[in-house]
Amino acid sequence: MTDDILQLESVTMTWDAGEGGGRTVLDGVDLNLARGEAVSLVGRSGSGKSTLLHVAAGIAVPTTGSVRLAGHDLTASSEEARTRLRRDHVGLVFQFFHLLPHLSLRENVAVPGWIAGDDRARTGHRADELLARVGLGDRAGDAVGKLSGGEMQRVALCRALLRGPALVLADEPTGSLDDRTGREVMDLLLEMTRAEGGALLYVTHSPELAARADRTWRLVDGRLLPGAAA
Amino acid sequence: MISYLRRGLLQHLRHSRTLLALTVLGVALGVASVVAIQTLNQGSLLAFDGSVRAISGQADLSVTGTLPTFPESLLPTVLGDADVTAAWPLIRANVAVSGRPDLNLDVVGFDVFAPVRYPLQSAAATQADPFSSLHDALVQPGWVAITPELSAQEGWKVGDVIRVSSGSRALELTVGALVDFRRFEPLAPRRLAVMDIAQAQEMFGRPGRIQQIDIVLRKGADAPTVAVRLQAAVGPGVRVQTPEQRRQDASQLLAAFRLNLTALSLISVFVGVFLVLTAVQASLVRRRHEFGLLRSLGATRAQVMGLVLGEAAALGVLGVVLGVPLGWLAARHNLQTVSATLTSIYVTEGIDKLTLPPLVIALGAAVGLLGALGGALLPAWDLARRDPLRLLSPLSVHEAAGRAAGRLALAAAALAVGGSLWFFTAGHELRLGGFLYGLVMLLALPLLVPLLVRSVCGLARPGGFGFALSLRNLLARLQATGFAVAALAITVSMMFGITILVGSFRQTLVTWLDVTIRADIYISSESWQRTGNDAYLDPALLETLRSWPGVVSLEEQRRLRVLAVDGRPVWLNGLRLTDRPLPGVPQADMAGRLPLMAGEPHAAVAALRSGSVLIGEPLARKAHLGVGDTLRLAGPAGEVALPIAGVSYDYTSEGGTAFVNLDVLNARFDAAPPNNAALFLAPGTDVEATVDALKNALAGRPLVIRSNRTLRSEVLAVFDQTFAVTRTLQAMALLIAALGVSVTLLIQAHERAGELALLRALGATRRQVFGLFLGEGTAMGALGLLLGLGGGIGLAALLILVINRTWFGWTIRPAWPGATLGLQAVVVLAVAALAAVYPASRARLARPGQLTRDDL
Ligand SMILES: Nc1ncnc2c1ncn2[C@@H]1O[C@H](COP(=O)(O)OP(=O)(O)OP(=O)(O)O)[C@@H](O)[C@H]1O
Ligand SMILES: [Mg+2]
Repeated sequence: MTDDILQLESVTMTWDAGEGGGRTVLDGVDLNLARGEAVSLVGRSGSGKSTLLHVAAGIAVPTTGSVRLAGHDLTASSEEARTRLRRDHVGLVFQFFHLLPHLSLRENVAVPGWIAGDDRARTGHRADELLARVGLGDRAGDAVGKLSGGEMQRVALCRALLRGPALVLADEPTGSLDDRTGREVMDLLLEMTRAEGGALLYVTHSPELAARADRTWRLVDGRLLPGAAA
Repeated sequence: MISYLRRGLLQHLRHSRTLLALTVLGVALGVASVVAIQTLNQGSLLAFDGSVRAISGQADLSVTGTLPTFPESLLPTVLGDADVTAAWPLIRANVAVSGRPDLNLDVVGFDVFAPVRYPLQSAAATQADPFSSLHDALVQPGWVAITPELSAQEGWKVGDVIRVSSGSRALELTVGALVDFRRFEPLAPRRLAVMDIAQAQEMFGRPGRIQQIDIVLRKGADAPTVAVRLQAAVGPGVRVQTPEQRRQDASQLLAAFRLNLTALSLISVFVGVFLVLTAVQASLVRRRHEFGLLRSLGATRAQVMGLVLGEAAALGVLGVVLGVPLGWLAARHNLQTVSATLTSIYVTEGIDKLTLPPLVIALGAAVGLLGALGGALLPAWDLARRDPLRLLSPLSVHEAAGRAAGRLALAAAALAVGGSLWFFTAGHELRLGGFLYGLVMLLALPLLVPLLVRSVCGLARPGGFGFALSLRNLLARLQATGFAVAALAITVSMMFGITILVGSFRQTLVTWLDVTIRADIYISSESWQRTGNDAYLDPALLETLRSWPGVVSLEEQRRLRVLAVDGRPVWLNGLRLTDRPLPGVPQADMAGRLPLMAGEPHAAVAALRSGSVLIGEPLARKAHLGVGDTLRLAGPAGEVALPIAGVSYDYTSEGGTAFVNLDVLNARFDAAPPNNAALFLAPGTDVEATVDALKNALAGRPLVIRSNRTLRSEVLAVFDQTFAVTRTLQAMALLIAALGVSVTLLIQAHERAGELALLRALGATRRQVFGLFLGEGTAMGALGLLLGLGGGIGLAALLILVINRTWFGWTIRPAWPGATLGLQAVVVLAVAALAAVYPASRARLARPGQLTRDDL
């Protein structure tokens, strides 16, 4: 399917456990994620969800199998090429926000644009526009240190969407937030990725939030199963 | 706690070997620069000391002339004193070895039958016929005893002939014996040669004249009392001194030279302290969690502080162990140039042997240890002061960064204002005042760093992954990066300050040479070149030169070391300048050649003719003399009072110089031929061709014949050589500051692993991360440069206007050596960038998957 933004074929991931032993975290995973689609990923702690996201983003290279991102074979690409593919096609949202404390809101959002060498004025406008959409427009110049968790995650959301990525990967984006704030952030995440036309793959431990995706995948013993309920 | 300390250190060693190595290296370099300079300083004193002791080692008193020589008829007077059991005369001459441009011999003529234990006699005693060598010494012309070292070095054997020269005379010495003066006096110069005094007087054209009488007193006689009595007996033409007094004279002569080098080497220590500060601070930031835990488990503040200081002391010990040998090597490396500087400017004794005195080792150790402890004190105190919980919380790292900037800048201003008030009211009267003032101002400099970083980096508006972002990152880690910037700023201040001083001095010298070096050809002898003393041009040679085709005027100059009545040494120059107008040679006009700073040229010329004196600026400043005053010198038969007709700029000596008509010098002090001659040629004569023709005609004579242009460039070459050692010190300080950048960024690479992982996850390539760090190193360089530029200009002003005036007494016109400064700025930036390469290569290894919950 040429329209898929992300394709994994028989991906296995074995972490070196030392003394020759290995721990297989992903075991023959196949998946296709269509453009514009939103999919949630659930599974027990340690089941390999983050690993799967890392593989999808080209941060980690699977032991075997192939990964195609936006039509490019990640497993056959150099580290540098994978980095560029990630930069150009993927937006990342983390559980712990990971904002740069010495930069303002606007600057934090603009960082991916800086990295890519985009036009600075356009990047700035785009950052402002995104911040306005998450309700932080009037605080664009503030330092991020004083923000609440929910606000930080909204800034991180803007950062992920800055360059209009075709794929947003979010690893427990609400994991550090209370239920209500988590729900609000999730709303924004779904709504904005959809508006931008990107696909979304997010990890969550909350069945309620998982159910808001178009589909849900479940990782059990390294295998990817469709469906949500246990 | 001790075992904890050891464990902490070992862990450190394992985890951050590079970091530790860099810090230790920095301490070592600081220690090394102090050890190197002090070793050289000691060496310069010991060189003088060694030759005094090798020659007059057993003397209780020495009689030396106020002029270089005095009549030997004084000997009976000395021997007539009841307390004198023995006295023997000496004559010394420095001769140049032909064909060896860098070798001269210190020839001492002495009475081979002097009733003292001279090494010559002990050497003779080991031979089959003990008296044969002494006999040879008396009858064989040119017989000398040389040291085994010199014999080995030059391949001279007993019986060989050594061709040497004194002034325009070529002489032949014959190696008669090898005598190990060092067995007798360990510091004896290698270039010592001994011959019979009568032969020496004959050979060096000083019959009946001697330079020194060494005296042994009756047991129990009080040397100072006898000295006073003898002084009265022998009259004003000579001085009776104990060896100790003679040493003090030399040490005073060298004081300014030594002080300057010491001050320079202290800068390295200062910079080194900042390096330690950086390293300790960083290691503490990294381990604050650990310390917080210790504190909450019940460790007292004192214990935590002791722990930190203990680690710093260990760093210091390592630095000392490495630094002392390093300093020794650096001293040996610079021995040649420093020795050449000493002999070309200060004393005849070059350093040919270095020792590493225990005192210098102790000093190096003290500097290393105290520097390391001093560097650790502030961060340790800061750490101990905080409450344990704050240490445990990860967030407080960024807190307060730059908040104190204003307060620190205020403190800097207070320090600067206070220092200036002190200096301009009271401090400038002290001889060390200028140095202290400079030190205070340099101390104020680091306090400005936070404000500077805040105002410069705060302006940075990153719009891309470039330099502006690097600047912002620096600002964010001000606490960690500030020290490296401060160390750079101090180094740059020192570099720029000295470069501006040297550049201004050089420019001033060039201008002065333009005024004073006007003749077309200059003639002096090889031995004058190297030893400067009584190297005469014989009258026949002068006649040849005077009648050479194309020569329209011959000028003569003689330089004589005399003493002012207050004991101050004065180089008295006797000049016979062109005293009539030369058609077509306007540059020979005397009035136009006097670089006067006070007095009227034409009046000065007339006054010189009638027996007045011109004095050099340093003498005028140090002896507080001016036009209309009288210069009182010690002549062979009492005081010679000369009216001062003018004060001239003079850069030939930092002591006193004075200029009189050559006839005045000959008549009132000591009649002898001149040391140097200068020729004016008829208009249109080819100067270089004449030089070549003269060289051809006078080939084989020990002369140095140079054109105006050559002389000028040689003078500048000596000048440049004098400052060569400062370049080594500058390089060392810069290296230490660069290590500061490396250490800081290496720690940053470690500390900011999370930030780097994030950037990598967001799509930054390894190269971009590398570039980011390189940018941070360069930014530190740029900030240090900016602050250092201000500091450097201030330091230069202080050096030129205050310190130089007090210590040397020269007027230096400030100049701006733009090209050199520009080059140095580029070097500083490049070195800072280079220092960032290793940390950057570590930073680029950050993996995008490394993000953990604690990061950022
Ligand atoms: N870089 C690595 N090296 C070795 N093992 C790893 C590495 N990263 C993850 N693992 C291991 O792989 C397994 C899966 O980890 P992963 O982080 O993917 O789980 P997860 O499903 O995201 O769990 P959680 O819900 O707790 O975040 C774990 O056992 C983990 O220890
Ligand atoms: Mg996970």
